[in-house]
Parts: sequence; C-alpha cells; structure tokens
Amino acid sequence: MRDPANQSVDSPEYPPELARLPPGRHGLPREFVSHNQRERLIAGLAEAVAENGYAGTTIAHITRNAAVSRRTFYEHFASKDECFIAAYDTVMTELRQRVGEAFEQEDEWPRAVRAGIAAMLEFLSAEPHLARLSMVEALVAGPVVVERYDAAIQSLVPYFAAGREGLSKEILAGLSPTTEEALVGGMVSLISRRIFADRSDELEGLLPDLVEFTLTPYLGSAEAAKVARA
Amino acid sequence: MASKSTTRPLPGRQQLSKEFIAQHQRARIIAALAQESSEQGYQQVTVADIVSRAGIARNTFYENFRSKEDCFLATQEFAMNEALERVVTAAGELEEWADRVRAGLTAFLGYVTEEPALARTCMVEALSAGPAAVERYEKSQQAFVSLFRLGRDVSPHGARLPETLEEAIVGGVFWIVYHRLAVGEVAAIPELLPELVEFALAPYLGAEAAREVATRAA
Repeated sequence: MRDPANQSVDSPEYPPELARLPPGRHGLPREFVSHNQRERLIAGLAEAVAENGYAGTTIAHITRNAAVSRRTFYEHFASKDECFIAAYDTVMTELRQRVGEAFEQEDEWPRAVRAGIAAMLEFLSAEPHLARLSMVEALVAGPVVVERYDAAIQSLVPYFAAGREGLSKEILAGLSPTTEEALVGGMVSLISRRIFADRSDELEGLLPDLVEFTLTPYLGSAEAAKVARA
Repeated sequence: MASKSTTRPLPGRQQLSKEFIAQHQRARIIAALAQESSEQGYQQVTVADIVSRAGIARNTFYENFRSKEDCFLATQEFAMNEALERVVTAAGELEEWADRVRAGLTAFLGYVTEEPALARTCMVEALSAGPAAVERYEKSQQAFVSLFRLGRDVSPHGARLPETLEEAIVGGVFWIVYHRLAVGEVAAIPELLPELVEFALAPYLGAEAAREVATRAA
C-alpha cells in the first residue's frame, strides 16, 4: 500500500532512482532488475542519510531500506561514499533539469530568473530529505562530493550572466567579472543555512528576497524589487 | 626590557610559566593542524601528523585536545577570532559606513592572504570536517552581517531592503574567497577587493556610488 506521506516520492514523473519500487518477485529481466536495484539502493541511502546523517549511515541501513542483500550493494557500489555520490548526482540532475525547464518557459530574462529560483525552492522544500542530502550532507561527505558541490553551484552562473545581454555600456562597466559568482554564492548560502537549521519550511518564502538580490546588479534596486514582488 | 611586574624573577629556561608554555604549545598544535590540513586535506590528517609537525609529544597533544576533531574546532575558533579582531579594529577607526566596509573587507582579505593555511582550513576544509565545523563556519559569517546591516541607515531606500540582504552579501563574499582558496589562487585574493566592495555596497548606495568607493585609492 502506498504511503500517503510519501506521495511526492511516488509520483510518476519522479526520476526512478528517487522513487521507491516495491521489493519482491516480479519476474523481470535480469538487466532491469539490476538497474532497478541500483535505483533502490540510491533511494535507500537518501532515506538513511535523512535519518542518521551521512556519518551515521551504514551500509546495513541502506540495504535494509532498499530491501536488497549486502552482496547486492557491493555489486553496484564499492563503498558508502560511492553510493552517496550516485545519489548526489541523481538529485542534482533532477534539480538542474527542473531549474532549466522553468527558466526556458519564460521569454524575458528577469522573469526567467524568477521562475528558475522558484523551481529550485519548490523542489528543495517539497523534498527536505533530498535537500539535506544535496546541500548539507554533501559538504561532510568528503572532498570528492565537495568538489561536485562546488561545480554544481558554479554551474548556475550562466543563468545570471545571461542578464548582461542588452545592458548599456555604463551598467556593464559596473558589473565586475565575479558578480555572478557572488550572487550564486549568496543565494546558496541563504538556502543551505535554512536547510542546515531544519527550517526548510522557510525556503519558498525566500523567493522575493532572492529575486531582488540577484536582479539588482542588472536592473537596479527599484526595478528588481518590482519583478521580485510582482 | 625588564618586566615591570617584579614580584617574580625573570623567567629563565626552567622557569617559563606553565601558562606560557601551555599557550605556546597550543598555538603550535593549531598551526600544525592548519598546515597539515591545507596540504593533505583534513580528512587525511592524523594526530601523528600534527604531533610530528608541531614537534611535541603525543601526550602533549592529548593534554590540550580530546581528539583531532576537538583540535580542528579550536583552530577554527582561533582563526575566526583573529580575523574578526582585525576586521573590527580596521573598520572601527573610520567614520563613514562605506569606508568601514572597505576597511573591514581589506582587513579580512589581508588576513586570508597572510594566513592561507588557517584560512583554507577554516573556509575550505571546515566544510568536510563534520556538522559542528560547518555550523561554526556558518556562524563566522554573522559578525559581518551586523557590519553590513548598518548600511541601511545611510541608504536612501534602506527601509525597504530585503530582510535577508546582508546574509546574501556575506554569503557571496565568503563564496568568492572560499572558491579562490579551494583552487589554490591565494595570490589573486587581494585583487578581489574592489569587486567585493562594490558588490557589498551597491545594494545600499547604488552602483555608481559603490564603484566610487571601491576604486578609490586606499
């Protein structure tokens, strides 16, 4: 029976790695089962990390949640770290896709930024466990993940840099090369601090502030506030 | 240079006060942890590495710290206090808020550049050193938040600035510095000053006035 509290995790458009598939006999081809096991392990890790933190998570937690054997775990991953990296990549791919889609649906850049940030906040607040995994636990999961985390944050830079297009020479002269990096860093710091403090319920409320903060260098304070509070 | 408090004889080799020795040892251990962490990454560092770098006995390490983690947190605390003191001293001497921000950022970047091992340990390695270290890293930003917040009083639109603005500005500044430290570009950090000053002041004063302060000769 479906767990009503886990509704969003079971929704059909959800990536398979993050959805819980019912364990048991199904007579599916071997390759499918194997792929499926990997997905279940990733979902099992996300659940275990949410409960115990990265450091407190053991392979036993993961295999129990995924309902697979320890041996199966090692057929897919060499270590807990490797499984975490797979989970992290899965979450980030999903997040990036959602942000990208939202951004593309708007014609004007300021509204596209707003839509992209809204999509990110919506995903993170709808999925507090995955939010924690990707924005908090990732930081304590070792240098390899931290490097990926850095790259993921830097990958947001182009969304903002697009705002330079069509700006007057005077405004462009005032935008230093590190503007976008600083905006992204500021935005992520606001978001991750709330997740760290278990205040994910405040995330969606950050939308106007973040939009105003990130648009101000390009549009000026008054215009940015207008888009943000629209 | 005789000591003014003459109740005690001048400390000779055998007579250095216990307190003095303890403080000195602690400082050496902290410096050693920072060196080792920034060279090989905090997770790889062992107590043996720290002890041998500091040139002290293993026992001495455990007289000062319970564990490697404990030592890490003390290192963070130490560097945060030092950096903060420099920022407060530099900013406090000036009258105008924009100048104080500029002086504070100059002092901060100066500290980071002078103490790259400590800075790397606190801003880069801290993120993979466990939840307590991450929490302290987050907290270290709070002092800057209050300095920036004063800008609302001098901003023509200070009253309607978003509540979270300072948090976002400080997060942005830290991120830029963090990133340079993470990729080992310490030498480029002082050059960031005008960009960071402008970034921090612009929301309060507007782009033009911010640039004026940022590019002003020191």
